[in-house]
Amino acid sequence: MAISEEQVRHVATLARLGLRDEQVAELQVELNDILVQIDRIQALDLTGVEPTTHAAAITNVTRPDVVRPCLPRSEALRNAPEQQDGAFLIPKFGG
Amino acid sequence: MSKDRLTTVLESWEAVIGLEIHTELTSLNTKMFCGCPVQFGGESNTRVCPVCLGMPGALPVPNESAVEATILAGLALDCRISRWSQFHRKNYFYPDMPKDYQISQYDLPFCVGGGVNVEIDGDGCAQRLDRAAVGADPDGTYTTRIGITRIHLEEDTGKMVHVGGSEGRIAGATHSLVDFNRAGTALMELVSEPEIRTPEEARRFAQKVRLVFLTLGVSDCNMEEGSMRVDANVSLRRRGDIEFGVKAEVKNMNSFKALHDALAYEILRQGDVLDAGGTIDQETRHWDAGKKRTSSLRSKEYAHDYRYFPEPDMVPFTFDDEYIDRLRARLPELPDARGSRYMAEYGLPKHDAAVLSGDLELGDYFEQVVEGVGVPLARAAANLVLGDFSAYLNAAGSTPTDADVGPRKLARLIQLVDDGTISGKQAKEVFAEMVATGEKPRQIIDRLGMRQVSDSGAIEEVVDRVLASNAAQVAEYRAGKHGLLGFFVGAVMREMGGQANPAVVNEILHARLDA
Repeated sequence: MAISEEQVRHVATLARLGLRDEQVAELQVELNDILVQIDRIQALDLTGVEPTTHAAAITNVTRPDVVRPCLPRSEALRNAPEQQDGAFLIPKFGG
Repeated sequence: MSKDRLTTVLESWEAVIGLEIHTELTSLNTKMFCGCPVQFGGESNTRVCPVCLGMPGALPVPNESAVEATILAGLALDCRISRWSQFHRKNYFYPDMPKDYQISQYDLPFCVGGGVNVEIDGDGCAQRLDRAAVGADPDGTYTTRIGITRIHLEEDTGKMVHVGGSEGRIAGATHSLVDFNRAGTALMELVSEPEIRTPEEARRFAQKVRLVFLTLGVSDCNMEEGSMRVDANVSLRRRGDIEFGVKAEVKNMNSFKALHDALAYEILRQGDVLDAGGTIDQETRHWDAGKKRTSSLRSKEYAHDYRYFPEPDMVPFTFDDEYIDRLRARLPELPDARGSRYMAEYGLPKHDAAVLSGDLELGDYFEQVVEGVGVPLARAAANLVLGDFSAYLNAAGSTPTDADVGPRKLARLIQLVDDGTISGKQAKEVFAEMVATGEKPRQIIDRLGMRQVSDSGAIEEVVDRVLASNAAQVAEYRAGKHGLLGFFVGAVMREMGGQANPAVVNEILHARLDA
């Protein structure tokens, strides 16, 4: 298979996903199925087709540098599991 | 950490340094992808919205002025502007980044290539051991071109306060508080080529970039407040080697001095490790300005694997000639051009031109003085601005903009010397009074009864009296002891209360004595 078990675990780590061993096996199969589809696309003859990252052929969409209303702080913090002094309180990490 | 030790290490090792300069576009009204205002400080989480909080479904839209500011920076630094450019997502987890990805640019940045000329003079020249090979003047002064790899645009993160540890450090903290006011602020990242060879070159390069950004008005570039942050990659290689050694990244320098000192320290540290047969770890190191050393961050983070991919929420950018030319027309006069103009139009010596054009505010102040006195007196204006005025700024800890003595008053003082009302020596006194009292030069001159007597009749009278009562000295002078001229000048000046025009006194003395 194109994607190894080790790669699945690495990608899971990068995405901060804790996977059980059987989930790793399942995902290895599913990810490889996706890659098979990618392989089919890559096999197409795309001579003369410009690469694109977007479906719509538009560019340079910007907004003027004008202030718009912010959220009230109570709204901004409403879903915070914990807060202190108007800040999001987060548990000990790293260090 | 002595300079000698640095030289010793640099004799066998060559430092290879590249800088990453992050500059917040503080001149903008709003953040990079949303309409929240850009300000420093303030109450936590009061300048946030669904976009900069990374709420699901919120759509970021690029700030057109941020894009323009970055293109302007690229044009000012000789970069090529990309015809086709776009934003990418840089994926990593850190609590100060609400979306768990940063919108940044990857292989298609706005600006590519470019560079600046950096002039090294003074003590810092000695760090470049091969300066003769790079065309240094006999006094050591040399100019080196530092290439720029790219300039791209991204968004800044929030700020964290770590609670419960020592000195607010994350080590030992029990929890942290996150404020997203800064999150989403437009951040311009400039990456230099690894063409910097000494700590002094790094400092001058960063200072030059800052000066250009200040001239463009895109940021306040305040290193202490963090609106300009300089990180350095540094490695050593044996002199003569072509391949780079393993590099360390040094962070947390919040002044140009810190940048210089951190690099000097890191060169010594790596030199010691390598001389002892050890190897350098590729790692991020933290500069501690108090302890004057770098230490490993020992972060438990996994190896960087950012999985960049094109930002699907934003369409690409194209920049055509018309757009680029329109922005080029908006470029102000840049520091190098300003310095050249001071030499060519005002006849200033190279050093004076460099100092005045190397400080945006001082240069602006100088030009206002020149406006007041006219170009023929520009040199006199430069002398006063770089002399007494700069000394006063240093003593008062003031800046040209909020100096008590404005450019119009200074111009008036120069004119009063030029028209012979007072002497240059008296002007120093008047300037000191201007600083002390805030009065206009004319008022001070009247109050102190200062007058410069240029009337040759009056001066001749005094000269004759002085010569008559010092016959012995006159004889000595005429016998060849010409150093006595100063004695006569002094006597005449004393006699006239310091108000005689020294040029006229000299002239008359010569006429009488050399006859």
